[in-house]
Amino acid sequence: MSRLSFLASLLLAGITSVHAEDMHGMAMGHEAPLGFDATIDKDGHLWVVDTLGEHVRARRSDDMGRSFAVSTIVNPTGEPIYAEGENRPKIALGPKGELYVTWSQPRKLPWTGFVRFSRSLDGGAHFDAPTTVHADRAEITHRFDSLAVDGKGNIVVAWIDKRDVEAARKLGKPYLGAATYYSWSTDRGAHFAPERKIVDESCECCRIALARAPDGSIDAFFRAIYGDNIRDHAFATLPVGGTSPKVERATFTQWHIEGCPHHGPSLSIDEKGTRHAVWFSAADGKATIWYGQLTPGAPPSHLTTIATAGASHADLLADGTHVWIAYHQMSPAGLDLVLRESTDGGTTFSEPRQIAHTANESGWPKLVLWNHRAFVAWNPEGQFRLVPTEALQ
Amino acid sequence: MKRMILLAALAVTMPAFAAPPAALSPADVKTLIAPPSKGVRVVALWALDCAYCEENLSALARWQHQHADVDLVFVATDSVGQRDLLSARLKAAGLDAVPSRAYADATPDRINYLIDPTWGGETPRTLVIRADGTRKAFSGALDAGRIASLMN
Repeated sequence: MSRLSFLASLLLAGITSVHAEDMHGMAMGHEAPLGFDATIDKDGHLWVVDTLGEHVRARRSDDMGRSFAVSTIVNPTGEPIYAEGENRPKIALGPKGELYVTWSQPRKLPWTGFVRFSRSLDGGAHFDAPTTVHADRAEITHRFDSLAVDGKGNIVVAWIDKRDVEAARKLGKPYLGAATYYSWSTDRGAHFAPERKIVDESCECCRIALARAPDGSIDAFFRAIYGDNIRDHAFATLPVGGTSPKVERATFTQWHIEGCPHHGPSLSIDEKGTRHAVWFSAADGKATIWYGQLTPGAPPSHLTTIATAGASHADLLADGTHVWIAYHQMSPAGLDLVLRESTDGGTTFSEPRQIAHTANESGWPKLVLWNHRAFVAWNPEGQFRLVPTEALQ
Repeated sequence: MKRMILLAALAVTMPAFAAPPAALSPADVKTLIAPPSKGVRVVALWALDCAYCEENLSALARWQHQHADVDLVFVATDSVGQRDLLSARLKAAGLDAVPSRAYADATPDRINYLIDPTWGGETPRTLVIRADGTRKAFSGALDAGRIASLMN
């Protein structure tokens, strides 16, 4: 068996090198992109997805990230993959141990991409050939995918889509930003429904936050555009089938920018339905990570400044009355992974506490939960680790 | 002889800086943002993912054509590992005659911070540095009017 897997890895290495030659001159992506995603299954296994050249890799750790017992290439046939910043590969788990993976595939023209999906129904031993989630195959932006599984096991994928920008351009009509679309699968990813628009004129370069509500539905929180390039956030529940989403404004920072923030938000909904969120704004030139509890259609409650200059890419997780926020804080000494914690449902937060440090770089932090304990998935210098959030007593 | 003439003609028509973006490491930032000995240095930060950035670079390049005291440099926040893609994008937009740099880090946060600790990394970002050491910065796409107010 080990010889077989050795042969398989040799074969894979061959495939990788052939495609590297094919792509010579296109330089799709950094040599060692740091984008990753992580989650923990009901048995306590940690799953991590990242990229190796033109391959998405899914790994399982049985010892909380110290070592990996399973490592499987999701797409043995290589393809360009966005694996940096807001465009990292994603992983989500189905109720019967299904593994679902999405990523965005750059196309040849600038700002173009397709949202790709693959699944494993055998615990990660192998993945099905990737498919393109959307029916629209125009060479335009379908990128910045986000992935979630609802309470019934349906898969929801949302992304940023520029088909309406193109349509407006042909008619000579103005159009700000891009649209946000989504699709769903009710058969464990065998098929996806024709995509549906969430909203027109939303921001074109920020990740979309998806979270499961207590009723099992998937809610989206994403950067939209209001009036003349006010880049605040919208909230919408994404129905599987049925009616179109109702989209409501959910943040009111009034940040005006004809540009790309490169900072998407994060959302987590507790058992009572409180929508805990973090988002980034640089209104009035002040870079700020905000926490608030969303009340769509009205300004959020419990607004709190989490961090300011040099802070970025906050992730948030709620469990009962416990809320954790992890983010990157730059300083002249390097990059700190910082935690702020609430034990009263987001009313108050602890002072910022550095829980890890690197002199170099890392992919964006991702909070994961196991038995009511939170950990931060992090990969400084490409070395994956799970950082505990508990303070040493 | 014909080949010689052809080569000479090519050399003449080649823009002075039509080279791929040079690496900008954290150690290079100090020099990049140091006040110029005279005039104004404009650092135009852009990114491949940013759909507003090329119009910003174009507006700044046009401004520079009309203002001899402006020292303009384009800096991509993308990794210099993507130099071919960055170079192709600038060339396609007719912007490859301007000196160009790209971050030597895989993620932009560290160099963003070193350039301007108050900047959140949004692009386009334009930094104006004068010989007297004063600085101004603006996030978002600039037109001629906005450039004029930023320069004054």
